[in-house]
This record gives sequence, C-alpha cells and structure tokens, in this order.
Amino acid sequence: QVENVKLLDRYTNRKAANGTLYLTATHLIYVDASAEVRKETWILHHHIATVEKLPLTTAGYPLLIHCKNFHMAHFVIGQERDCHEVYTSLLKLSQPVKPEELYAFSYNPKMSKENREIGWKLIDLKVDYQRMGIPNDYWEITDVNKDYEVCNTYPPEIVVPKAANKAVVIGSSRFRSRGRIPVLSYLYKENNAAICRCSQPLSGFSARCLEDEQMLQAIREANPGSPFMYVVDTRPKLNAMANRAAGKGYENEDNYDNIRFKFIGIENIHVMRNSLQKLLEVCETKSPSMSDFLTGLENSGWLRHIKAVMDAGVFLAKAVKDEKASVLVHCSDGWDRTAQVCSLASLLLDPFYRTFKGFMILIEKEWIAMGHKFSHRCGHLDGDPKEVSPVFTQFVECVWQLMQQFPCTFEFNERFLLEIHDHVYSCQFGNFLGTCHKEREDLKIFEKTHSLWPFLLQKKQELRNPLYRGFTAYKELQPNTLPFSFQFWCGMYNRFDKGMHPKQCVLDHLLSCVSQKMKLEDNASELE
Amino acid sequence: SPFSVLGEIVVNEVNFVRKCIATDTSQYDLWGKLVCTNFKISFITDDPMPLQKFHYKNLLLGEHDVPLTCIEQIVTVNDTKRKQKVLGPNQKLKFNPTELIIYCKDFRIVRFRFDEAGPESAKKVCLAIAHYSQPTDLQLLFAFEYVGEIYHNPAKKVNGIDPGGGGGGGIGSASGQQTPLFETYSDWDREIKRTGASEWRVCSVNEGYMISTCLPEYFVVPSSLADQDLKLYSYSFIGRRMPLWSWNHPNGSALVRMANIKDVLQQRRIDQRICNAITRSHPLRSDVYKSDLDKCLPSIQEIQAAHIKLKQLCVNEPFEETEEKWLSSLENTHWLEYIRSFLKHSAELVYMMECKHVSVVLQEEEGRDLSCLAASLIQVMLDPYFRTIVGFQSLIQKEWVMAGYQFLDRCNHLKRSDKESPLFLMFLDCVWQLLEQYPAAFEFSEMYLTILYDSARISLFGTFLFNCPHQRVKESTEFAISKNIQLGDEKGLRFPCVWDWSLQFTSRDRLLFHNPLVPCVQNGAVKTFKRSKKNYSSTLRGVPPALKNGIISEQEFLPRRNSLILKLKPDFLQQTESQSNSMEQYFRDWFAKPVDLHGVILPRISGTQIKLWKLCYFRWVPEAQINHGGFITAFHKVSLLADEVDMLNRSLRQYKSNSSLQGSCSELDQSRMYFRANSLNDTSAAPDFLSSSFPFSPVGNLCRRSILGTPLSKFLSGAKIWLSTETLANED
Repeated sequence: QVENVKLLDRYTNRKAANGTLYLTATHLIYVDASAEVRKETWILHHHIATVEKLPLTTAGYPLLIHCKNFHMAHFVIGQERDCHEVYTSLLKLSQPVKPEELYAFSYNPKMSKENREIGWKLIDLKVDYQRMGIPNDYWEITDVNKDYEVCNTYPPEIVVPKAANKAVVIGSSRFRSRGRIPVLSYLYKENNAAICRCSQPLSGFSARCLEDEQMLQAIREANPGSPFMYVVDTRPKLNAMANRAAGKGYENEDNYDNIRFKFIGIENIHVMRNSLQKLLEVCETKSPSMSDFLTGLENSGWLRHIKAVMDAGVFLAKAVKDEKASVLVHCSDGWDRTAQVCSLASLLLDPFYRTFKGFMILIEKEWIAMGHKFSHRCGHLDGDPKEVSPVFTQFVECVWQLMQQFPCTFEFNERFLLEIHDHVYSCQFGNFLGTCHKEREDLKIFEKTHSLWPFLLQKKQELRNPLYRGFTAYKELQPNTLPFSFQFWCGMYNRFDKGMHPKQCVLDHLLSCVSQKMKLEDNASELE
Repeated sequence: SPFSVLGEIVVNEVNFVRKCIATDTSQYDLWGKLVCTNFKISFITDDPMPLQKFHYKNLLLGEHDVPLTCIEQIVTVNDTKRKQKVLGPNQKLKFNPTELIIYCKDFRIVRFRFDEAGPESAKKVCLAIAHYSQPTDLQLLFAFEYVGEIYHNPAKKVNGIDPGGGGGGGIGSASGQQTPLFETYSDWDREIKRTGASEWRVCSVNEGYMISTCLPEYFVVPSSLADQDLKLYSYSFIGRRMPLWSWNHPNGSALVRMANIKDVLQQRRIDQRICNAITRSHPLRSDVYKSDLDKCLPSIQEIQAAHIKLKQLCVNEPFEETEEKWLSSLENTHWLEYIRSFLKHSAELVYMMECKHVSVVLQEEEGRDLSCLAASLIQVMLDPYFRTIVGFQSLIQKEWVMAGYQFLDRCNHLKRSDKESPLFLMFLDCVWQLLEQYPAAFEFSEMYLTILYDSARISLFGTFLFNCPHQRVKESTEFAISKNIQLGDEKGLRFPCVWDWSLQFTSRDRLLFHNPLVPCVQNGAVKTFKRSKKNYSSTLRGVPPALKNGIISEQEFLPRRNSLILKLKPDFLQQTESQSNSMEQYFRDWFAKPVDLHGVILPRISGTQIKLWKLCYFRWVPEAQINHGGFITAFHKVSLLADEVDMLNRSLRQYKSNSSLQGSCSELDQSRMYFRANSLNDTSAAPDFLSSSFPFSPVGNLCRRSILGTPLSKFLSGAKIWLSTETLANED
C-alpha cells in the first residue's frame, strides 16, 4: 500500500487525482481520495505489458504502465523508495515464471465442481462437426492423434478425409512442419467444398512425399463437384521461398494433381508486432492534428495488415462458395495466419459463427484446439519477447471491421469482442492458457480452472447487438476490402481514453429501446 | 412522356446509344436513346437495370438522368482518330464523336458510346449538351423557362403543386409546419421572439434594396442603433453590408455577422459604435468577442482546391493505385482537416457565448462566405431547433440564402466562374460529422443531407440559384418584362422552393428524411424538438436595475474582464492563456457530463472522430458499394424497431381507451418510418436492394476508368494544365 499517489489522466490533462495505490496478489488498485465519489482503478497484473520509471518531476517519481488491453496508467509517487518498490513488485507480478502462478489457478468464483464441469462442456466441437454433417461419406472424425503421436500441437480428435488411411496420415505428418497435417477446418455443406489447414511442407528445393500428395488428392476428391483445389500459402512469396533453404517451403504444383497454388502476402508475427507498436504511438499522441493522425496511421501499416488478413478470408470464402473448390491453407507452422484466415472465412460463410455460441465454438476450434500459442503470443509468462505478437487481436479486429460493414449480422456487439480480448490476456480463465491441447491437459486446466464462456453468457444482455436481425437474415457476407473500408478501431486502441469516444453511445440507447419494447410487449400480453 | 416538367423541351436526341457500365467489358452495357432537353440529359432504355429493385425515385429525374446544372465537364472522344476534346460552350467539333463522357458535380461519371448511332445526330446531341449546360446568361437557366410557363399558364402545375407557394415546409404528412423564408418582416420578428432577443429589432431600411443589393430587405440590428445611423455607417462597409444579427443565446449573448469596414479613417469609430450597440443589447452589457474568420479558417480557394483533390481521390484514381497510400492521399486533400477547423472554431465560439456570456461577432471581408458556415454551425450546436428539419431549413434560409451566399457563383451554375467553392457542401459535411457523433440529436437523416446537397444542382428551385435575394428580383423582373409577364405587386417572379419536397419526392419517399433514432431515445413521449426551456436563465433575463443605469457591479464585471476584446489591457497575453485554459476546462466538463440532446452539442475533433462522408462521396462508385451492408442496414433495423415500439404504444393506448373510438384505426396506418415492420419481431431478411449506397444506385455507372490509356481523372477540371498542353496535339 502506497499513499499519496497521483494518477494523471493523459487525455484531459485534468488536475491529477490524489489517492492510494494497493498491490494485491492479482490486481493493482488505485483509490482516488480526492474524488467526491469513491473512484477505483483496477489493473490486473497479467494485463500489464510494461512498467517504466520516468525521470523525476516536481510532483514526484512517475511510473508509466502500459497494458496489453491498451490501457495506460501514469502514476506519480511521492517517495523514490515507494516508487522503486512498486516498480519491482509489478515487474515480478506481471510476468510470472511458472504457469501455476497464473490467476486462473487461484481464481475462485465460488462455483460447484459440477457447474465447473458443465461449464467446460458448454462448447463441444463434435456438435459443430455434426452440424456440418460430419461424419459423412467423405469425412471422418479420427482419434489417430489420441496419444499425440501424429502431432503434439493438434487435439486428439481431428477430421480427415475418409480416403486417407492411417499410413497416409502418418506419412503426410512426416512431410509437414511439426507434423501439422492437413485437417478439416470447415465444410460448406451446400456444395461439399472444404476449408482445410496445415503447416508448410518440408519440400526444400525438390523433396516430395507420396503420402502428402495422396492426402491432398483425398481432400480434393472429397469434393466431387470440383476438378481442382486451391492450396493457399498465406505468407508473402519471398518469405516462403526463403524457407526452402531450411528444408521447408511450399507445394510444387507439378507434384500435386490439379491443385492451384496461390500466395497471399500476410506478413509475419514480427512485422505485426512492430506495426502495432507504431499504431499505439499514434494513439498516444496527445491531440494529434488530422494530418498527424492520418499519416501516422498509414505509416504504422496496421490497417494494411488487417486488410491483408481480410482479403485472404474473402478469397477463401469466394473459392468455396462461388468456385465450389476446396481450399488448403497454410503459413509456416499453421497456427497464426492460418488460424486468422480460416476462422475469418468460416465467419463469412456461416451465420452460425456470428452468434454467441457459434463465435465461442469458432475460437475454441480454430484457435484453442488447433494450437495457437496463446501463452507465447500474449506473453502470459516471462519468456521470449520476440514470440509475442497481436495475431489474435488482428482477428478480433477483422470481426469488428465486419461489424462496421454489416451492423445487423452479428448477435453480439463490440463489448463482447473486447471482453474476449481482455480475457485472452487476463489468464483468469483456463481457456487461453498454454499453447496447445496437450499442454492444457498437462496443466490440468479442466480440473483446476474455469471456462470463460459460461461467464460471458451470463452477461449476454449487455453484450448483445440490438440490431441483430437473426440467424436467417444474412447468409454469406461479402465485405468490401478497398482501403477506405477499413476504419481505425477507437473502441479497442483508445478504449480507455474516454475523451476519444463519441459522446453519445447509440448502443446503450438501442439496448434500452429494445428493453422498452419488451416491456411494452409484456404490458400488451398482460392486457390480452 | 418522361419529360413531364413544365416548359421542358427536347432539344436533340440520338438513338442506338450504349451507356457503358464497365470499361473492359460491354456485356452489361445498356442500349437506349440519349436525349438532351433544356433541363437535363436523359437516357431512355428498355433494358431493365440488372440490380436496382427499389423504387426510390426523384419525380423530376429518371434513373439515368443528369440535370444540366449538375454537369461539370463534357468530353468527346473519337477513338479511331485518337482524338479527344473537352467541349466548352459554343465550340465546334471537327470529328464525329464515338464516345461522350459526362463528369457530374455529384462525383458521377457517365459514359455513352455511339458505335451504332448516326454520327451526325450523335455530334448534334453532344453539341447541344455542351450548349445548354453552359448558358451564357442566368436567364437562360431552365428555372426561368419553367417559371415563365407557370405565369403564362397558371392552371398547369407540375405534380399538382403550386410552385408560387414557396414556403412548403412539411416533408412528412405529420408536420404541417412551413419553413420560414426570412423574406418578410414577420419571419425575423418571430425569430427575435423565439430566441428572446428583446434588445434587438427588425430593421427595414433596406426595403426595395435601397441601401445594399446583397443584403436582405429585412434584417435584425441592435435596438439602440437608429435607421439614420445605420444608413450612414453602411457606406463604410464592403458591399454596404451592415452588421446582421443571427441568433440570441438564452443568456442574452448575440451572434452577429459583419463585413469589414473599408473606410480606414472611420474604421475605429464605426467599429466602436457598433460594438457598443451590441454591448448595450446584452443583458449583462458584456463585451463583444470578435472573430476574424479570414484569419482563422481556410480560405474559399483552399476549400475548392481540397474539394478537387477529394474528387480525384474518391472517384477517379483507380483504387489499386491508392491501395498503399489511401490515408496519406486522403490527408493530402486537406478536406478533413478543414472540416475539423470549422468544427473546432465554431465550438470555441460556442464556448464564448455559452460560458463567457459574450456576444460574438463573426468578421469576414464580405461576410457572406465563411460566416455563413460558421454562423450556421454555431447555431446547430447551440439550438436544438436547428436540428429539426424545419429549423434546419430555416437556418439555411436565414444564414445562406438571405445573407447573400453567392450560390450562383459558388456552385458555378453558369460554368464560367472562377469563384467556385463548395462551402455549402462543407457545411453539410460538418453537420454530418455532428450527426455521426450524435446520431439521435437530429430529426433528419444523412439521406436528407445528401439529397439536399443534390437539390442545389437542380436548376428548377430558386433557393440555390442566385447570389442574393436582390438578384432574383432584378433578373426575374427583367425576364418578366421581356416575356410580357404581368408581375402586379410581386417583387420579381416566384420560383419553386427547394423546401417544397413534394416537387421531388412522394410523401412516402420523404419519410426517408426522418431519423428513426429520434423517437427511440425520446421514449416515444416527445415527438418534436423544443428549445430547451431550462437553458433560459431567468436571472440573466431580468436585468438588475443597477445595470440599467449603466453601473456595473463588481460581480457582473467578471465576464468583462475575461473577454478577449479588451485588447488594450496590458495583461492581455496572460489572459489569452487563462482563456484557453478555461476553454479547455469548459470542454472537459461538458464532455464529462451526460449529453442532453435538447441542449448544446459539441463536436469531438480528434483525428479519429473526423470521418469521410462515404454516402455522399462514394455513392456512385460501384467498387465502393457494400452489398447488403453499410449503415443503411442499421437504419433499416432501427426503423423496424421504432415502428414496433409505435405499434405497441398504439395498441396499448387502444386497450386503455377500451377501443372506444374507431378513429384510432387511421392512426394505425400512419407510420413515421420509411421501412416498416410487417409484424412484431420481424426477423425476415433485410430487403435485397439495401447496399451502402442506398437510396442511390451506382449500378449503371462506370467503374475502372481509363480511356485510350489515359486515366479519366486527367480530363477533370483539376487537371486543366494537362489539357492546355498535351491535348492540343490531339485536338481537332
């Protein structure tokens, strides 16, 4: 506990508040003593990205905290010793070394064991495969990976073509980086075209693998309506070519029957990390001019990267729907760009994924189950900073961009996205811990932690989109991907800057309008 | 006949014309007849439009029609001879055109091909369009033709409406209110009373435009200024434009517009007298804050240059080229930056009136350009009445039409003015920004703003045709004499008024002007905006007796000390600083409070909040369209929601009144919404035709624009240099 701490509000430049800083096991809490109404600022230790000590000012010792959810807090502490203590404690608390120290293992919402188990069973991927009509004549759910022998970053159960027998699966896994073989991500029931995902082939300059070729053939033949299939490498061509020198690379069109190979240049995690950094610098500029903002935004390249991801998603959706062709997608390891692109394409094609439940399934399926390394990308634990990258943030932003273009097509609103984004970093729930299913099993998260989804469903009322027109109103979405269609997402990157938001919140108005309507309906039915 | 407008005659026409939809493929092209009338160019086709299924139509214009006043540039091409020429008025054309490209002021580009058409007729139509769209004289504009016909045949009325009526306020069946035009003494008097400006009076010295030809006949001045003095002072002002009162704040502060004083010797004295008079009209006798708009806002030339760049960017540059640098290209136009500076400056002046309780004088060279925009914007922010449809229209009458905004020159209706500048558009854009930030604070929708902008380029309405009211009287009297029209007591001919929306749209289509969010947030209780009573401070109204004797107590002295006008004070600089601090404080406090939609609204002006008005600038660009998406889908859903709430309220009322009166049945039929709910909880699919461009349709317009390898943008007026050098070789 440190008293006499000032909190500077960087937008309003208001006279600094004076209050007390508390460090608990999980949170940093600042209580504003000067305000008439008790005002508290809570910052979760896991949300803290960086803590910086700034040069001494007349007011005291400044401490600048940047959070992963783009919150920024600027404290000024009276005593140097206090400041240093807070600083070192925060450094330790914000970057635990052992997974057991993560909040999820101590978080106790006073829920019964049964309810916790029910919570974990809320999302069942098998139900989603059933919804797609799997198993069917062409696809089956196999437990070939039950002991993680094929691939230790895949879940035990995967969906592969029926025609691909175990030998093909095993053979193909030896030819794919980290054994991440082609598996089904989404089946478009209307025409049997499928979206599949994998990692890059270990082709080098000339290597080939018969089983891998058979695997692709099996995928293509699982869609009898199309004579060819696409193989999409989401990396820029140069990056993919460079990988060949390391014995990896991309598919040679001559070796595979009837494939159409295509590069979609989405940049790698390092470029994205730097881009976000530049974007945040623009956001932090105090009262930028129009020109500062526009050029800064452009130079960050952020919206260009978002567009690249969206373009790839649109390409996939079009290939499946319009060309009726199956698509196999990969990047390097097939857990970053591939996850973004596959989940986006599903979202464009299938209105189910635009509901609460569907969106949860989508994240469980394409991100959590398929081994997106949340722990590394979000920096949950003290680790290599070069592994951190806003891959999931970009996906969430793509969804938001779609909401802007199609305001009535999502059951949930922006706050739902922000909640999820917060909890990806908060480590309060087990869902996003670790890097893959196997690791989560080892951590015993299903026994020791809670699942996020039931908690979000409880808050459904405030997270719903009052403009939603229902499940059947819109099928496929065809977003416009010209550069001017992409907007800066103030609600995410300047979320904690109250001064940057539109004054009037239409969402609240509409939500109240809807509840007013429901009240009237109740009145009317009572009278009847 | 498609040419239903009275006085409209076909000048020339050509058959077997192809309207191009795309440049690379002709399979979607439409075949038809291209007609040039004295009002518009028209393309009449039997081919149904492939996609357009909705029936939102302008009663004066067909789907493919372009009013002549909307044409910006006409380019003729002969691709076999590789010749191209921009057609000015009275020019010859030495080749037979195979192609005609029309650039419109609303950012549309239409292109016709004459491969199968008679070469001579094609040429004649092109020349006719060039001739009729670039008249040598104001009286040659179609509106005169039309009005002449009306006066000769009073029985004929277009669409059954008497164009002489002028007022025409109501746009929906519900509102029978008329838009005050401020042509009469009584309109001004009512505005004085509405705003409680008791120390101001209507002045009629300019009756018959005896003093100034660019001022209205009636305007409002401080009560303490006598007509005799005003006449005397008027000589010192540019254009004899005496100070014009615009509006009064409930706290007694006035908004006044004033031209510069050209007489250097008299400058100080007259300025002092005017300011004293304004001070005397303030209940607190507080000082006057002067804002020199020429110094703190972009000039009309800069705004025009920004507009040209914006047009290039939005319409002409192939999007592939701007892919990487869209944001910096947008920045390079400066358009948003200028929008921001108008919003910012207006908000600062709102602060002066609202918080410092001082009267504000907008000073500008002639006082009829930037002042129109600033004065209206300040009033939109301060007075909720101007956020209603009738109020907004009256604002445009008061601050633009009557105040002598030079619509003729600034809109360049005669296409020969170097004074063109899109100030009016910039105003609408600024209002759109406010609407975007306060979606429930306005009675009207962005469709209304866009259609209003379009209406300024239909040469039928007198509203946006002239440089000032006197010009209408003068020109139309001359015209009447030449056409043997008996004017009687009337001052000039009466042209149809743009506020007579029934001339352009059916009552059902006019429902689209309404913002469906408004009833939602008002809980269905209040249907109309009212000037918030609680803003009126009765303590300020009732002037303490001490003040009346000219003695100002210490307490009342405070606002004086803080005002900026006291330039003579030595601590002026220090004051400016504390001024700007207290201004920041005011904005901070205002933004910290919940917004009162019936009170003041202030704009957010950070870079993230100023946006490009896509509906207005992108609606004709096929590539920019979002099918089944865009803001309109939200508008649609909100309309249904509001309609359902209305329905429920109505049926509840019926239950309560025990369905005693059958009269409520007719009420049930009335919906304020353009989109209606079929039933409660209507979850059916949104109509297929909804796209981000609705109610406009880019279908049938050109995409991928280049011709003979030259990007079409090169032909635009923004690239005149190119035309004078490079084309000469190609020209006939």
